[in-house]
Amino acid sequence: MNWIGMWTLTKREVGRFFSVYRQTVLPGLITTTLYILIFGFTLEKRISEIEGIPYTLFILPGLMMMNTLTNASSNSSSSMLQMKLLQQLPDILTAPLSSFEISMAYIIGGTVRGFVNGVLVLLLGILLVGMPIVSPIQTLGFLLVVSWAFSSMGLFLGQMADSWDELAMMQNFFLTPLSFLGGIFYSIQMLPDWAQTLSFINPIYYMINGIRFTVLGVSDSPPLVSFLMAVGMTLLFTFSAVLLMKSGKKIKS
Amino acid sequence: MTAPAIRFTDLEKSYNGTHALKGVSLDINDGQFFGLLGPNGAGKTTTINILSGLVLKDKGKAEVFGRDTVNEYRFTRSNIGIAAQELPQDWFFPVEKLLFFQAGYYGLTHKTAEPYIEKLLKRLGLASKRNARLRELSGGMKRRYQLAKALVHDPKIVILDEPTAGVDVEFRHDMWKLFKELHNEGKTILLTTHYIEEAEMLCEDVAIIDEGKIIAQGKPNELTKQSEKSGITIQLTGWNESIHNKFNLYTYTFEDNRLHFTVKDPEESLPEIINILSQNGCHIQNIKTDKITLEDVFLSLTGRGIGEESGT
Ligand SMILES: Nc1ncnc2c1ncn2[C@@H]1O[C@H](COP(=O)(O)OP(=O)(O)OP(=O)(O)O)[C@@H](O)[C@H]1O
Ligand SMILES: [Mg+2]
Repeated sequence: MNWIGMWTLTKREVGRFFSVYRQTVLPGLITTTLYILIFGFTLEKRISEIEGIPYTLFILPGLMMMNTLTNASSNSSSSMLQMKLLQQLPDILTAPLSSFEISMAYIIGGTVRGFVNGVLVLLLGILLVGMPIVSPIQTLGFLLVVSWAFSSMGLFLGQMADSWDELAMMQNFFLTPLSFLGGIFYSIQMLPDWAQTLSFINPIYYMINGIRFTVLGVSDSPPLVSFLMAVGMTLLFTFSAVLLMKSGKKIKS
Repeated sequence: MTAPAIRFTDLEKSYNGTHALKGVSLDINDGQFFGLLGPNGAGKTTTINILSGLVLKDKGKAEVFGRDTVNEYRFTRSNIGIAAQELPQDWFFPVEKLLFFQAGYYGLTHKTAEPYIEKLLKRLGLASKRNARLRELSGGMKRRYQLAKALVHDPKIVILDEPTAGVDVEFRHDMWKLFKELHNEGKTILLTTHYIEEAEMLCEDVAIIDEGKIIAQGKPNELTKQSEKSGITIQLTGWNESIHNKFNLYTYTFEDNRLHFTVKDPEESLPEIINILSQNGCHIQNIKTDKITLEDVFLSLTGRGIGEESGT
């Protein structure tokens, strides 16, 4: 293992998004604050509690999850695509780094960004509305696993993509809709049967309910299923991203 | 016998439809200053990128000090430093930081790399630009950064892919001086270029590549001696395209009002050439017959100038 090489690339990946924290950290915090203000001060009076939990609290874990998974996936995908487009990838591909080491550095970079964003929203929730946390360790653990899963998905997509347009499409037509339909703002028990069934094939439904369980102690899906889904996605996307990197199909000619 | 620094054996490569390399074999010895010369699209960069692992070859073998570049890539890549033809951009980090990253990829800690990077920045005239972003550097400065990046892990082999493309004459001469110094320090250098002058000036050995094949190889003066030809260079005004037809039987290039012929016997050809030119309204300003250059070698091998596109 070229540990120093891998560590260097990891530092670069993490340093990259911290150096532009206004684009990578602040937006999630601002949107979440807006949600809390809008729902907390206006809508909450009209929407009754869900499963015994005030509405603003009910949506917070989902918002946290959406923040985490968008940030995790967009870090590795956009960094990979950017390096491709800016002619930086050759520096890494011609260095004595293995495909595995390169993949890990990218994935860790995205995981850190996803995790940091999730934790900041969590803190915001505690600060602004005094959100109680049922199991803090499990909350952080679950955030970490989901960050890794979506960061490795991002690395896979970043290798596949040839333009910003393609990445934006993934985000806008896939990640964001699935997050909203995954039950950030509602319990699926409020949906008609057919829509409930549809939710079961949405992987993000399990992520949102998993984190809601660790934070609030309520969940539409069994917690174990949520956890297994997250681990399954982690394995699937880590393997796919590393194997695609090894094959060089989309990054070498 | 120790293994050569670089050995290519029967390299073949196609990019969906373009047969870029058609069996390239080359040996470059330790400490040699080697030039790979060829027109645009000849396959120079492809050859180099196979060595570095950026391009996946279809057939053949590439070795560094006798070790395979695929199976033993950690060893081979550690011994190579590449100044790529394509210049990179970066929005996030300053020059110095980028060099430390680069050193890190090769397994060097910040501490180990520091004195050497300091020396490199000074040597390449980049010290005052250490905190600049790449986009703030001039084209010539970017080329220097590219070279610094290639040298950051002090490799035994330095690969320069058209390292002086797009820089002015003064800059070019500075770079040449640097390349010579590196060579004197014992580094093996593989330079690709389509500036004949650059190859003649620097290289001990050259290979000429055209359309994915090596068509000649040797020391520059051997190559020029082998060919029993000479060059005639004519500076003129009043050229027009229709004159091309009149020279069907000659091997020549025309560029910037400068005609260059490759001929067997200047005494026999010169009167006829002058005749044709004056009959077609050209004013000859200057005539030079010279010893054959690498340009003539290329011209007589391929029938076109080295500055012209391959495959036409
Ligand atoms: N990534 C690629 N995809 C498709 N074709 C390619 C690719 N890279 C190179 N080629 C083609 O392969 C051939 C050889 O290209 P190469 O870049 O090796 O030439 P070169 O000698 O370096 O040329 P130049 O002097 O212009 O740099 C050319 O016909 C080129 O168009
Ligand atoms: Mg080239």
